[in-house]
Amino acid sequence: MKAHDQASSLFWLLVSIYASIESIQMGVGALQKPGMGFITFGTSVLLGILSLALFVQTTLKRDHAKTEPLFAGKLWKRVLLVLVALLIYAKLMPMAGYIVSTFFLMSFLFWIVKGQKWWWVLISSFLTTLITYYVFSVWLKGQLPEGLLGF
Amino acid sequence: MGVLDNLLFGFQVALDPNNLLFCFIGVVVGTLVGVLPGIGPAGAIGLLLPATYRISPTSAIIMLAGIYYGAMYGGSTTSILVNIPGEAASVVTCLDGYQMARQGRAGPALGIAAWGSFIAGTLSIIGLMLVANPLAKVALRFGPPEYFALICTGLILVTYLSQGSILKALMVALVGILIGNIGLDMVNALPRFTFGLIELEDGVGIVPMVMGLFGISEVLDNLEQGLGQREIFETRIRHLWPSLKDWAEAKWAIVRGSIIGFFLGILPGGGAVLSSFVSYAVEKKVSKHPEKFGKGAIEGVAGPESANNSAAGGSLIPLVSLGIPANPAMAMLFSALIIYGIQPGPLFIKNNPDLFWGLVASMYLGNVLLLLLNLPMIGVWVQVLKVPYRILFPLILLFCLIGAYSLNNSSFDLILMILFGILGYLMKKFKYDAAPLVLAFVLGPILEQSLRRSLMISGGSFMIFITRPIACTTLCFAFLLLLSSIFPYIKKRRHEYREFEE
Repeated sequence: MKAHDQASSLFWLLVSIYASIESIQMGVGALQKPGMGFITFGTSVLLGILSLALFVQTTLKRDHAKTEPLFAGKLWKRVLLVLVALLIYAKLMPMAGYIVSTFFLMSFLFWIVKGQKWWWVLISSFLTTLITYYVFSVWLKGQLPEGLLGF
Repeated sequence: MGVLDNLLFGFQVALDPNNLLFCFIGVVVGTLVGVLPGIGPAGAIGLLLPATYRISPTSAIIMLAGIYYGAMYGGSTTSILVNIPGEAASVVTCLDGYQMARQGRAGPALGIAAWGSFIAGTLSIIGLMLVANPLAKVALRFGPPEYFALICTGLILVTYLSQGSILKALMVALVGILIGNIGLDMVNALPRFTFGLIELEDGVGIVPMVMGLFGISEVLDNLEQGLGQREIFETRIRHLWPSLKDWAEAKWAIVRGSIIGFFLGILPGGGAVLSSFVSYAVEKKVSKHPEKFGKGAIEGVAGPESANNSAAGGSLIPLVSLGIPANPAMAMLFSALIIYGIQPGPLFIKNNPDLFWGLVASMYLGNVLLLLLNLPMIGVWVQVLKVPYRILFPLILLFCLIGAYSLNNSSFDLILMILFGILGYLMKKFKYDAAPLVLAFVLGPILEQSLRRSLMISGGSFMIFITRPIACTTLCFAFLLLLSSIFPYIKKRRHEYREFEE
């Protein structure tokens, strides 16, 4: 855990440095008339101090235990694939429409866990897409994108 | 009008067929969310929030609140039958609930959990009814310095009571304040931290944030850990009505759990999770047979289950009387109210009597509905539990995507939600609690507003926080809390240093 805490504290330190610089550029103002960067500057400085404190605290800790890897095993690849699929879906849905894009996304998500028969994957994806479209678009009158194909 | 008159008025509102239907939908969805691990009440509220735009705010809030307290009921079922808590607030119920099930006493365990929840839920509504209005009247005297002090204390309490390192929780809260300040500045209307994106000028939406942090990240975490079939303890569920002996053993645990839950529920960051753990610890402490705990003691189920339901009622108090949400689910309700054009805070009850008293009365009705849903229909929930996660996770992801998209019909919100999902997933890996981030995100803009106003009033002097008694007392309390969390660390370091020297 030691290495993880050191890494995360350095990450937050970088965030705080960036936010502090941005806040100064926005204008911190004076105590009588605080500017728009006033609270963000104070917050980011505090974040920086606490990040440093975490870094020092972790570094000084006498922890000789071996740091467990963050992404053990092979299943993190599945996480990565799902994330990529979600990002593609988010980008494509307005163009391809809800029904088409959701059918492909659901097929992928049902398929990614091994052991599913292809016909089961296709039928489940089709039904899920249709039912959710009916509930959210027709019944609840939500505005799901129709896409270039018109559905 | 007295409390009883108000309550009668509330029942008139709650018994309206529309409101009753939405109350029912809320508690059913809540129970489902509680039974199924994966999305949590805050995520579920976010999911259904866009669907409520076409109904009246009263119906919407009745339904959304129903999800929250309904989830507390449902969480116990998985804890008792599967040894997996559906909700964080039911973690401690696993200890004795599952043991009771293994001993063939799943029925009494489920029964006492449901009855305890019902009694505690009802008692906390009475508390809510009696405390919220007087507190709101006191809060009317609060100015910007008092609000600043209250929010600071609330945030420190959240970090103090959060799981894991306080230092990390404080850092996460500060990140939440920074994210809360993304968007147009309220005075100059100039963009802050928007990276040139027009979509960020309105700020980051709470729905994509909560669904990402709690829904998507949970799914990603589960995907990485494998999707093994949950093992449901196969037993006949009999005797759902606990015996007289069970009642005798559990009655004081229910009363104590209700009181603990109510008061811890009011505290920001306290809520259902903490109260269930405290209740379990108290029951073990006061028991004549502490050795029975962990081996199927009925008090170990009755106390925590009562506490987490009571906390659900208690946590509404700071929201409706001060405008300060106590936990992520309340933060979602807070945002929902703002979206409907209703300002939570001291004037909330006065300006919206139908909403407040309708909500209170609906909670009485909701508790009765939950009792009916959770006892005679327990078999249905057991069947729901058998749905494999490989089928559930695509559905959870899809519901999150639809929920985030429907808010503004914007694919930007989808990307934002996925990014928060990644952040939440990494935060789990690096052992950071997400709850302080959400609360600080909601409270950040109010904190800024009150600080800037206070400084303008005082001409730039921080003495305004010392000279005003309520602000001073509240800040002193926050300071003491911070000190109390630092002392054990210093003591530990000194001890380690002495050991090292020896």
